[in-house]
Amino acid sequence: MSIKRYSKMAYNDPDDMFFGHCCFPVKVGLDLEIGAGYTTAEVKYAPRAEAGATKEKLIDEYERITRDIITRMVQVGFPSVVLETEHVHSMTINAEWGGEIAHAQKAIMENYHDEYGIKCALRHTPADIRREGECVDLRGDLYSLLMESFDEIASNGADMLSIESLGGKDVFDHAVLRNDIQGYLYSIGVLGTIDVEYLWNDISKIAKKHHVVAAGDTACSQANTAMFIAGGLLNHKISHTSAAVIRAMSAAKTLAVYEAGATGPGKDCAYENTIIKAITGVPISQVGKSSTCAHSDLMGNLTMQCCDLWSNESVEYHGDFGGTTVQCWGETLSYDCAMLNAAIESGNTKVLRDILMISDRYRDPQSYILAYDNSYRLGQTIVEYSDDIFLRAKKAASESCRMIEEASRGYLNLSKFEKLTLAKISKELVSLTDDRDIFMDECQDKYKAEVDTFRPENYGL
Amino acid sequence: MIDLDSSQFVVRYNVRVEKDMAPEEVAKNLFPSDEIIRSIAVAVFDGDEDAVIDGLTIAIQAGMKPLELINNGLMAGMDIVSTLYDDGMLYLPDVIISAQAMIEGIDHCKKLSKEVHKSKGKIVTFVVEGDIHDIGKKIVTVLLRAKGYDVMDLGADVPVEQVVAAVIKERPIMLSGTALMTTTLPAFNDVNSRLLKADIHVPVVCGGGAVTQDFASGYELGIYCEDAEDVPKIADSILTGFDVQHLRKVFHKH
Repeated sequence: MSIKRYSKMAYNDPDDMFFGHCCFPVKVGLDLEIGAGYTTAEVKYAPRAEAGATKEKLIDEYERITRDIITRMVQVGFPSVVLETEHVHSMTINAEWGGEIAHAQKAIMENYHDEYGIKCALRHTPADIRREGECVDLRGDLYSLLMESFDEIASNGADMLSIESLGGKDVFDHAVLRNDIQGYLYSIGVLGTIDVEYLWNDISKIAKKHHVVAAGDTACSQANTAMFIAGGLLNHKISHTSAAVIRAMSAAKTLAVYEAGATGPGKDCAYENTIIKAITGVPISQVGKSSTCAHSDLMGNLTMQCCDLWSNESVEYHGDFGGTTVQCWGETLSYDCAMLNAAIESGNTKVLRDILMISDRYRDPQSYILAYDNSYRLGQTIVEYSDDIFLRAKKAASESCRMIEEASRGYLNLSKFEKLTLAKISKELVSLTDDRDIFMDECQDKYKAEVDTFRPENYGL
Repeated sequence: MIDLDSSQFVVRYNVRVEKDMAPEEVAKNLFPSDEIIRSIAVAVFDGDEDAVIDGLTIAIQAGMKPLELINNGLMAGMDIVSTLYDDGMLYLPDVIISAQAMIEGIDHCKKLSKEVHKSKGKIVTFVVEGDIHDIGKKIVTVLLRAKGYDVMDLGADVPVEQVVAAVIKERPIMLSGTALMTTTLPAFNDVNSRLLKADIHVPVVCGGGAVTQDFASGYELGIYCEDAEDVPKIADSILTGFDVQHLRKVFHKH
């Protein structure tokens, strides 16, 4: 498989990056164009517990969800919307379920589009089912089943294909509980990257076959896991500086998704997407202040800075005072987008972008490295070492350490523990080899011995 | 680009409330006084598995009993780690690394002893059927082991039948299950009703992104747990005689 690596930045200057615009807009679904001068809400949802009992109940649930969202969009006068259906396990395992649900949702969206002209598109995200018990099984029978799921949804109405891939999770889970820098690098920079290349090569082919969009992936099982474990300011499970460095590494992995054929919009929970946008110029989806229904983070405004889609991450479908949850959160997202779009139309894009960015820039080391100017610097580091998937992740990690350390002498306040962790990571990164082959051999032996569930054959190793 | 001092709208409370003393300084005053036992506790605190075995070897050569060393040396060192973790002075990787060293030490002592080491109690952990998100369960398992519990980890995507069979066989003091997907939640109800049918009234602690306090309160054995750190505290409370209602009163925070 020949992969063309990104060796230069899509943007010449970080100041050229902002919300609602990207270098390579994506035309998708029913008259929607993402990143072409306006932002759009991406509404995500989870079915109620009892809806999972049968296929019929699930279809009915998703029809209700779809109708609720689009009706509210029309009622309040929003010009566009994207719906993302993240599969529950049974929808991917039973590939035809996912296909039938995509078909049912799309039929409703087409009706509304025909009647009101609302621009819309449907993203489907199969569950990464490639796991047997405690072990990931990335290339066995479950892989074929996963591809079958993509084929079903793509042929039945899904406009965009995505996944939150599991590759590297085996070693990462071990590493994150031990603050093992070498393990972070191996699981994200090497194993995760190998997996997404394998996976997205095939997803891209399926998308091409059905004339739909191979949208994007995320380092959810690594960088988001670290972010969630790190938690808020008073949590003390892992250091926020560790989580920041892991996020920087994760961009090198997520980039491989686009090198393997994805075209965006990147997956919403990929907080590393601003780095991806800087390198690739593809449109991105982001979560932040309007995804508090799903989780808390430390950069709720900052993530809007360069978004093209603005997402709520997920919310369980049920009634609330203001309607159903998907109506309430869809409306909130769309009002956010209306504000962003008004800024674009009135020539205030950069002012609003900077206000969003500065409001969270120094809230945490994680938000600091994702401020658009710093994301751009991390992107430059990654493309400088583009041909070596390991080295580009390592250099991104080192650069993030340098940036945080430098900022801690200014407005970014770090605790003693965060400083200590940062110093430890920096030191360990320096001590690790730059030679990919040596690194991989060493890690393969080490993690085969330490991690029961790690099977190198999952990665063709 | 705007750049400015954000202190008017950002407060990093973790920096503001940070304690002056380093955890090592605090621990120094908490280690056992006996020099030989102290070295074992220090090795656990440092997470140094080799030093743990060396310390145990010296202690046993000096005539100390392996099982006593578990409680007085290994567990004592781990208790200090847990205390400092609860106080916000140590972090999860510190606990994991120390727990690993302690477990190595316990295994070593068990091999050398004819007496049977009794844990604080047996606990079964699992991720519900249809769900593979297991990092929370892994954290819970480690924290429980660090507190001296014998944990049977059933893994992820575990069928209800397997959970119930494990409870019937092992008779744990509690179950701890996690779920991140809404559609997998009915598994908790199934576990609850199957256990009641078997006349087993073991508390079922559940957490994870899809679980809410209202949901957990809706079935007879359910205890909602928002934070993995609370799970060992719930187990400790069960050992002191707390029933489900009492546990809910203390640990249901909303």
